[in-house]
Amino acid sequence: MADTVADVHQHEAHGHDDHHHDQSWLEKYVFSTDHKIIGMQYMFTGIFMAVIGGYMAYVFRMQLAFPGISVPGFGQVSPGEYNALITNHGTIMIFWVAMPVLIAAFGNFLIPLMIGADDMVFPRINRLSFQIFFLSSIVLLGSLFVEGGGFGGAWTSYPPLSANGDYNQTQLGASLWLIAVALEFVAFLLGGINFITTLMNSRAPGMKAYDIPLVCWMIVIASILFMLSVGPLLAGAVMLLFDQTLGTGFYDPARGGDPILWQHLFWFFGHPEVYVVLLPAIGITVEVMATFARKKIFGYKLVLYTAVATGVLSFFVWAHHQFIAGIDPRMANVFTITTLLISVPIAEMLFVMIATLYGGSIRLTTPMLWALAFMAEFLIGGVTGIFLGASGADIYFHDTYFVLAHFHYTFFPIAIIGSFCAFTYWFPKMFGKMMNDTLGKIHFWGTVIPFNFIFIPLFVLGMGGQHRRIYNFQHFPQIAGPEYFQLRELATIALLVMLAFQLVFFYNVISSWMRGEKAGKNPWKANTLEWTTESPAPHGNWPVDELPTVYRGPYEYGHPDREEDYWPQNLPN
Amino acid sequence: MSENNDSHDDGHHINYRGIYFALLILFLISVAGPEVGERLGLPWITLVTAFGIALVKARLVINNFMHLAWEKRIMKWVLATSVILMFLMVAGVAPDVMNHEGNNWENLAAKEAVQRGLAEAAGYSDGEGEAEGEAELVVAAAGFSAATSYGQICATCHGAGGAGDGIAGAALDPAPANFTDPAFWNDPIRTDNLRERVLTVIRDGGPAIGVSALMAPWGALYTDDQLEEMVDFVMSFRPDE
Amino acid sequence: MAHVRPIATTRSATGIPTARLAVWWILASEVVIFGGLLGVYLMHRIGHPEWAEAASHTQTWLGAINTFVLLTSSFTAVLAHQAAEKGKGKEAAKLLGFTILGALMFLMIKSYEWYGEIVAGYTITANNFWSFYYTAAGLHALHVIAGAIIMGFIAVDAYRGRELHRVEIIGIYWHFVDVVWIFLFPLLYIAK
Repeated sequence: MADTVADVHQHEAHGHDDHHHDQSWLEKYVFSTDHKIIGMQYMFTGIFMAVIGGYMAYVFRMQLAFPGISVPGFGQVSPGEYNALITNHGTIMIFWVAMPVLIAAFGNFLIPLMIGADDMVFPRINRLSFQIFFLSSIVLLGSLFVEGGGFGGAWTSYPPLSANGDYNQTQLGASLWLIAVALEFVAFLLGGINFITTLMNSRAPGMKAYDIPLVCWMIVIASILFMLSVGPLLAGAVMLLFDQTLGTGFYDPARGGDPILWQHLFWFFGHPEVYVVLLPAIGITVEVMATFARKKIFGYKLVLYTAVATGVLSFFVWAHHQFIAGIDPRMANVFTITTLLISVPIAEMLFVMIATLYGGSIRLTTPMLWALAFMAEFLIGGVTGIFLGASGADIYFHDTYFVLAHFHYTFFPIAIIGSFCAFTYWFPKMFGKMMNDTLGKIHFWGTVIPFNFIFIPLFVLGMGGQHRRIYNFQHFPQIAGPEYFQLRELATIALLVMLAFQLVFFYNVISSWMRGEKAGKNPWKANTLEWTTESPAPHGNWPVDELPTVYRGPYEYGHPDREEDYWPQNLPN
Repeated sequence: MSENNDSHDDGHHINYRGIYFALLILFLISVAGPEVGERLGLPWITLVTAFGIALVKARLVINNFMHLAWEKRIMKWVLATSVILMFLMVAGVAPDVMNHEGNNWENLAAKEAVQRGLAEAAGYSDGEGEAEGEAELVVAAAGFSAATSYGQICATCHGAGGAGDGIAGAALDPAPANFTDPAFWNDPIRTDNLRERVLTVIRDGGPAIGVSALMAPWGALYTDDQLEEMVDFVMSFRPDE
Repeated sequence: MAHVRPIATTRSATGIPTARLAVWWILASEVVIFGGLLGVYLMHRIGHPEWAEAASHTQTWLGAINTFVLLTSSFTAVLAHQAAEKGKGKEAAKLLGFTILGALMFLMIKSYEWYGEIVAGYTITANNFWSFYYTAAGLHALHVIAGAIIMGFIAVDAYRGRELHRVEIIGIYWHFVDVVWIFLFPLLYIAK
């Protein structure tokens, strides 16, 4: 009996083409179960949220540079509003931009294509995970408009400030914020199941583990890291929500609770989280570098095992965020050592990138420029992390702008540079058109150069003792002098310039999509499987009887005895 | 699908009923054990029967009902990793959360809560009110001093001299109370029940007397006697006229 | 509406059927959620001996009955899997039905138990022990409810002879719910 049932399913699972002629627009684009459409949905939501997060940065940087000013497009910024802006800027950029774009959008779009599958293993759960994510975005945006305004307790949401509405003055906003974040976590847990199962099981015939493109590995390792670290925080968030709404005392010292517990739960997740977003960005960079250096990755297995090692180590470093929170000093010793250790595998991955480029035949296309910028800027971010990882130095640096500059020098390459790198590289496959390379380069330089002028001043300010999360530095005479003022001004003006150049990007996207040069199947002459199908990729990815078989690894470039300098994975010889 | 070649229990005939009865017996032991342990006053019996047996039962269910014993090794590793991570988390968090003192630090509020709770429990079993038990079991820090406590906790906002000019207080709005200002003490709002007002605001925070929530509640740190000493100390800033 | 299952779903490079692979990963994530909550509770319980007074008011016998109910429902769930393996859809559906009945009994006993405790003043805000008690048992109960609902859908399909492989999958999830309770019971009820 069961056999027949199983056979019936085999029969049904033979391709999408015939069954979907008469789908309405809603079914095709809004309620789609196609991984590429769902990937696009995540992408556009992420881009939209990035605009909002960028707007928030604009407003609070104007306030910081010109205290008391009526910010054009916002008005005067009150202290409470300032807190809400910085809180939601951080929350949005990490959870509603970096993760949806790098992991959900590109993971969804690329994984089935790159492993030669026709879709994810569970398309309907895929759709559900986007719907939950979309709901979480609505809840978060809604939290900004309720009575009291958006939550103002910092993206780290430490109690007692976050638990007590009297302290944070944004009681409703705080609970909505927390619910939005929890929903986002659930969405990514669900999505992660799909990515992991699909990669493990649904590879094309002939595709062994070491034939999988690195970006797919990285996204899946990231999903696993996320899944294993978010659990305690989800439990802790429920506890915080109960403290906020029911009046329990999980984090209230007067009731026998402990605020430091929240810190531990938060950072037990929070630290692996940064590698959750870093690994996909490294994967993207490495894909692009192989293609535009026409050279195989220097040490595929090295990168893979290093990524796993980084993931494992990332669970052992979390309390470096709490060095001066009153943790036991003996723990600080342990966490200093592990934190300094974790810089080793990551540095090693950067060395692999350099070694890959060395001796390569480099094409400086826009995606390649983004990949190179990732390396350079992330290097600065990583190196400055060493200062913070040493508990002695951190006593001075903690909660200063030095920390802020460090994490922007890591997060910006990850979330922004990484996303632009991926977007410009896979645009032809997603939309069937080529982007204008000149406009792409203008956008590139107009983003990367100002970026440095925003955050190097912030390193200087941080070393000078400027504290984070302060609404108006005029209140602090020691850091209100003209040299400080000028650095803040410089950072803000650089931000304005950078934001202005983003218009070039949007113009490029729209005009290329509408009138750009048509892209062939494989405009970059790359090896991986997504380039063997039409651009844009059709529903079902390949005709049913043409699903690819794999004969070699993904980075076979520059073979001396071949005419072409690339060797696609699906060619028999 | 691969129903036909599902090999997780090929050849392994699992006696589900047998496992179920074993589980029931273990369950009965795990309920009876603690009773025995309590009666005999041997806590380790409780530990072994309640928790040890839980581990055995879980293993039986996981291996035989979930068939993990016959699953591919990779999934065993994944699940083992989840469990190990939980031990790691507890190991990293326990020194701060489970302990109430450590290298150069002390969690006064938690210690206070423990003492209070134990005193109440003792009070219940005596059948008397809690007040007596509490007074006896009060946490004796190395001699309580209101001046020291003021310096540690209040001075950051209210200033070492009580003038409302502490460094953290500078950015607050409304500014912290200035105890050296006669106008503060002579304000009509605090002529009635002056002492009570001061005590309430220290113990329950600003909103309890209708002022800003920026003044936090500190009641958890002090016994009733210590609170009275704090009130005396604050009032000692009042200028004589 | 017939959902076309992609070929991706039918492949199995690891040899583990995709649905089962997925449910194992789901359980891995649930282990860290419950593990996190219970680990935190355990640390607090050890650090706060004064909770013993509050914990003495939990109703161990009701908890024990619930343990028995869940154990038995796990048994019926695995028998359902055995029936599904042999292709006996109606039998599997019946056994899943018993499992769902077990879930309902569990929830009813718990409601009765909680009602008594709340009326006696042991609410979620009474003290931190009770806060953990309701949060942990509540999170578990949510998983029982969700599992029972999904099990209902699978039972209906199984009765019609469809998607029999899913009986094993919901069974694995259900056993996990049972294992969590196996640990919750001593933690919340026995540790006095």
